[in-house]
Amino acid sequence: MRVPAHPGLYEVAAEVPSLIGTRCSACGRVYFPPLPVGCEVCGAGEDRLDTAALEARGVIYSLARVYVHRGAPEAPFTIAEIQLDGGPLIRGTLSADAGELEIGHRVAAVWAVTGTDASGDDIVEPAFVKAVHQ
Amino acid sequence: VSAALGHLRPVRVVGVGLHPYQRPSDTPYTTLGVHAVRAALADAGLAWTDVETAYTGTATTAMGMSRLMYRHLGATGIPMAQVENASASGSTAFRQACIDVAAGLADVAIAVGVDKPLQFSSPQRAAGVRDLVGSRVVPFTHFALLAQRYMYDHGATAEQLAMVAVKNSRNGALNPSAQRRKARTLAEVLAPPQVSGVLTRLQCCPISEGAAAVLVASDDAIERLGLDGDRAVRVLSSVARSETVYDGENFDAALTRETAAQALGEAGVTAADLDIVELHDAFTVEELLYIEAMGISPAGRAAADLEAGQFDIGGRVAVSASGGLLAMGHPIGPTGVGQVCEITTQLRGEAGQRQHPGARTGLAHMVGVGAVCIVHVLRKG
Repeated sequence: MRVPAHPGLYEVAAEVPSLIGTRCSACGRVYFPPLPVGCEVCGAGEDRLDTAALEARGVIYSLARVYVHRGAPEAPFTIAEIQLDGGPLIRGTLSADAGELEIGHRVAAVWAVTGTDASGDDIVEPAFVKAVHQ
Repeated sequence: VSAALGHLRPVRVVGVGLHPYQRPSDTPYTTLGVHAVRAALADAGLAWTDVETAYTGTATTAMGMSRLMYRHLGATGIPMAQVENASASGSTAFRQACIDVAAGLADVAIAVGVDKPLQFSSPQRAAGVRDLVGSRVVPFTHFALLAQRYMYDHGATAEQLAMVAVKNSRNGALNPSAQRRKARTLAEVLAPPQVSGVLTRLQCCPISEGAAAVLVASDDAIERLGLDGDRAVRVLSSVARSETVYDGENFDAALTRETAAQALGEAGVTAADLDIVELHDAFTVEELLYIEAMGISPAGRAAADLEAGQFDIGGRVAVSASGGLLAMGHPIGPTGVGQVCEITTQLRGEAGQRQHPGARTGLAHMVGVGAVCIVHVLRKG
């Protein structure tokens, strides 16, 4: 079984990670991470903010290799800004074995195991790798 | 009907003072702040009893800290408050002091920026906002991502970005209030440690403490108190804005573009009129982005213009003549107030070795996480 490292941000049941975002039913804006309370674009209230599944795939907008970091994961690692096919510009971590990726490359998420919980289940998070299907 | 600051009573900077920015030490914030206030009072020729209201720009020191500092100048019972707006705290405190004088609520007001890096809170955590990267993205990586995209969009090189730190270190070496007082070569700036992306240590501002103080006054006060009107610097405009939703455009740059355009418009000047610009160069890439966002260089041209010396002291427009956040330092609360100190000193022609010849019009710019942006335009006379 998989256990999410960030509960509420993605579904762990599927083999391919999908993100849990928000869609405003008043203006159509899609958000990730999910947005509570009220819509940033139109101000619609929480009753208009619906949960929306987002494919964890898109195009690298920018990326940075981080060399200085306290705590887990151990540096260096690479952070990417990814323009999701579903709309939002998000930030994610590239998979440690993602290889050479550049701005403009298509990426998709796979499960990365970050630890094991008390019951022996894998704690997972989405990590991005070069997309297999364009 | 609302009015711009420039349409209210004229506001003039009449005194500036600093406590040098420095590495965090055991010096209490009260000592830092009072040092800057006394320097500003002496510069203006004012007594503390002439000051009618005080705003303290601070973000990382302590709640309710103002009176514990100002009491050492003699407790006069004036209104005082802390102004917190992240990196723009000092700029916002200065704006509040200007508003009080412009509106006629006070004839003499002081904005003091003072901070020690004692506590950094996380608004994201308080708001319950969680994302996939959390603490893996701190400000230097936020700006490393911007740097990579800027290089991709405009073909700029890592060396060109580093040139910002070379220039600002050269200016900082001439500033007795600067934390980093060593002129650096390109090789030194590019040398490890690498921090994030193309950013090396010397392309990131240091962690600082310090204080800055600015006294603003009405023309009534300048006359009544016999101040030197020739050394006074007019605040032509004061504009504050916050982030909206910008699709496909970096929000720091977009917010700066909007705020600077409004501030220049209200001041009745254009970017081409600027002689002195102090901006939020916490990381090298920011200086290039904001120069373009302000309209000083066309999009994608700032790196080449900087390399050509256009932003040097003595160039087309002196950018970060103080050394900027990169060399003078970024103690948070003081930073925006310190920019006004530098611009005032430059416009008065009193900047000594780092004097930009013929400086007449200056612009001060800060952004703060959230995000907010504050821009002031100042002019001599």
